[in-house]
Amino acid sequence: MPTKELPWVIKYRPKKIADVANQDKAKKEFIEWLTAWLHGKPSKKAALLYGPPGCGKTSMVEAAAHEYGLELIEMNASDFRRREDIERVAKLAATQMSLFGSRRKIILLDEVDGISGTADRGGLNAILELIEITIHPVVMTANDPWDTKLKPLRDASKLIAFNRLTETVVARVLSYICKSEKIECDDKALRYLAKLSDGDLRSAINDLEAIARGYGKVTLDLVKALVRRRDREYSPFEALRNLFMSKYAWQAKLAVTQTNIDYETMMQWINENLPNQYSDPEDLWRGYEALSRASVYLGRIKRTGNWDLLSYVFDMMGAGVALARMKSKYRWVKYSFPQRILLMSKTKQVREIRDALARHLAAKLHVSSRIVKSDYIPMLQIIFVNNPKYAARIAIGYNLTENMVKYLAGPRSNEVLRYIRELKERGVPEEEKKEGERVKRTRRTSGRSGRRSSGKGTQTQLPF
Amino acid sequence: MSSIAELLWAEKYRPKSLDEIVNQEEVVTRLKKFVEEKNMPHLLFAGPPGTGKTTAAHALAHDLYGENYQRYLLELNASDERGIDVIRTKVKEFARSRVPGEIPFKIIILDEADNMTADAQQALRRLMEMYTATTRFILIANYPSKIIEPIQSRCAFFRFTPLRKEDVIARLRWISEQENVQYDIEALEVIYEISEGDMRRAINILQAAAALGKVTVEAVYKVVGLAHPREIKEMIKLALDGRFTDARDKLRQLMVEYGLSGIDIIKQIHREIFSADLKLPEPLRVLIADYAGEIQFRLAEGGDDEIQLNAFLARLVLVGKKLKA
Ligand SMILES: Nc1ncnc2c1ncn2[C@@H]1O[C@H](COP(=O)(O)OP(=O)(O)OP(=O)(O)O)[C@@H](O)[C@H]1O
Ligand SMILES: Nc1ncnc2c1ncn2[C@@H]1O[C@H](COP(=O)(O)OP(=O)(O)OP(=O)(O)O)[C@@H](O)[C@H]1O
Ligand SMILES: [Mg+2]
Ligand SMILES: [Mg+2]
Repeated sequence: MPTKELPWVIKYRPKKIADVANQDKAKKEFIEWLTAWLHGKPSKKAALLYGPPGCGKTSMVEAAAHEYGLELIEMNASDFRRREDIERVAKLAATQMSLFGSRRKIILLDEVDGISGTADRGGLNAILELIEITIHPVVMTANDPWDTKLKPLRDASKLIAFNRLTETVVARVLSYICKSEKIECDDKALRYLAKLSDGDLRSAINDLEAIARGYGKVTLDLVKALVRRRDREYSPFEALRNLFMSKYAWQAKLAVTQTNIDYETMMQWINENLPNQYSDPEDLWRGYEALSRASVYLGRIKRTGNWDLLSYVFDMMGAGVALARMKSKYRWVKYSFPQRILLMSKTKQVREIRDALARHLAAKLHVSSRIVKSDYIPMLQIIFVNNPKYAARIAIGYNLTENMVKYLAGPRSNEVLRYIRELKERGVPEEEKKEGERVKRTRRTSGRSGRRSSGKGTQTQLPF
Repeated sequence: MSSIAELLWAEKYRPKSLDEIVNQEEVVTRLKKFVEEKNMPHLLFAGPPGTGKTTAAHALAHDLYGENYQRYLLELNASDERGIDVIRTKVKEFARSRVPGEIPFKIIILDEADNMTADAQQALRRLMEMYTATTRFILIANYPSKIIEPIQSRCAFFRFTPLRKEDVIARLRWISEQENVQYDIEALEVIYEISEGDMRRAINILQAAAALGKVTVEAVYKVVGLAHPREIKEMIKLALDGRFTDARDKLRQLMVEYGLSGIDIIKQIHREIFSADLKLPEPLRVLIADYAGEIQFRLAEGGDDEIQLNAFLARLVLVGKKLKA
């Protein structure tokens, strides 16, 4: 039988909505929404199912299509989802009845949080338009629906939350599969597998299958020897929640290490969300103090290459931050993406020009690029914005590129660039040239001669 | 250099020879001895910014070797090239190369050496001994304590001090005359006050103010106000007012729009803490300054700019709350 070869996660996929384990609230809400659609009166035309991986989102939509006899039109993260793709596949389907009689459709846009801003340009807007005009139910899924770019989709959809499955339920499903497959198994082993899965049934089934196929039985010893907790799949949103809910130091350290982002990025997430979570100023300060220490340890590691210090980084950004909360109560708050990272990417081009300018001048001015940025660039900006003619001569003196001039002169770039062209074509008027030579001559002889000058300046003509 | 080109005055009026250096008499006298003897040990120049350290190193080389001294010189800025690789490649190669002229050694300037990594400093330590016969090092630093001891012990130490008021003003007047700039003498005094003996800063302010027209007290304030964004002051006030996230937005604006580093910002904050504009009980100023110092230290240790400054702002929020209570 060919089904024997199917991976168990597929073989044991729910066929009806009732087969979906746990998720009672989600099932109820989804059925209500879908039946309203089928009777022509949906509260919202789209539903957004969200929750951690492997907890039944995609399965439920497939089960519903099967149960209600709907034609399933699906697009997921493995498809391109640019505006034209969405229009070609989904929009067409959404606005037409099926070819065969009155069979209805359901449109599944799976994993919408994976729609890329660059590779899938225009995709999100196309989905919004699709929701406007669709005559069939549209369902979307996401692990992390709180990304700001998804806000318009959230607003247009009924939100339905999926939770991690409980250990008991995971163990029960595993036990059912073992019975069906006639695999000898020990309850403690299944229980342990369930625990390691963190409520991700897909990963639990996959682990089970791997052991069963390899050894023909599933015992606690085998599980302990072969299965590791996935390291980890926790989104930064979940990791933050785990962190701020931690009561013990070890929990908090685990929270910051078990994420799917690196620890420096995790620091930025904490940096962003600390003030949302800690309303009391003392807690806030203690939290930042701990985070600050963590970042100093990381700095030392980078400077000295002493990676032994890494666990102190986790001590401070995990336990230090979590246990800083002494006065505020834990409360549910919405976490946001680090603005710093967004800002940095938005201004990347500007920063690149500034860095290039700093390097360019550093060599000529015998200082580091840091000092060029702090001491010279601000004053160059003043000159470029206020005195384009003079600025043009400086730009020539240091061979600045057009982009560098634009960076320094901002709104007056065009004037500066025009003067540069004029100066290069016509040179400098005669009197000014002589002036320049005079300066050169005096310079050579008058090293410390500053002391002899008197009173206020007497010249009335500026050289620029 | 064609005459349509203009240069930055701090660079244009950098003294070429030891004779031209203002102030630092003690240092200059000792360095001139080296020129007379055509010999010198390894040197360590330490002192605050803009006091003539880099200038003195070049001037010394100029006076030793003449106009074309660049051939005998390798100059590296350790802030930009701070790793051990640079020491093992560029520095080592140059140190090993033959001496081109009558003076039996060449010079390697390691500027801003306090930013060298610890590894790089360790690597340098042997080089300084192995090639002493043919290569002399001049290390330059703002914070000599960040130079490891074995290196300090291999160098003769020279301390540069902030320039005196009358010398700064005289120099500014002299430059103004060279450049045909009109000025009010009070304006030059203000420039001195602001630049605190940092000649580079003083000359920069002069040039920017001159670009606006006559150098008046108002022009100077305008320039300094522009160069030192008022956002700093606003940020401090917001934090003291308990508005942490608003203060943090200002901080981000400073970092992103003005491109200031964490160190630049904390230094500017430090200046503001003692300004009369900021209404604070005196003992609190001391407390805040102390914490600013701690943050600056952590930044120098390599802490993330925004995280460190957020810690500072969170502290200000706390201070502000106690102040109100
Ligand atoms: N609640 C559930 N009830 C029954 N089986 C489930 C459940 N959740 C997951 N599974 C099993 O795990 C497999 C994967 O589930 P599904 O594809 O629905 O996950 P998902 O929530 O869409 O996850 P992702 O966010 O990673 O796409 C299913 O084929 C099924 O075998
Ligand atoms: N003692 C001085 N005499 C004359 N000019 C000076 C003196 N010190 C500084 N200057 C002026 O300031 C500019 C910067 O000085 P210099 O580069 O020597 O500073 P520095 O001590 O090396 O500072 P940093 O520690 O920031 O590197 C010089 O180009 C020169 O114009
Ligand atoms: Mg799915
Ligand atoms: Mg210098």
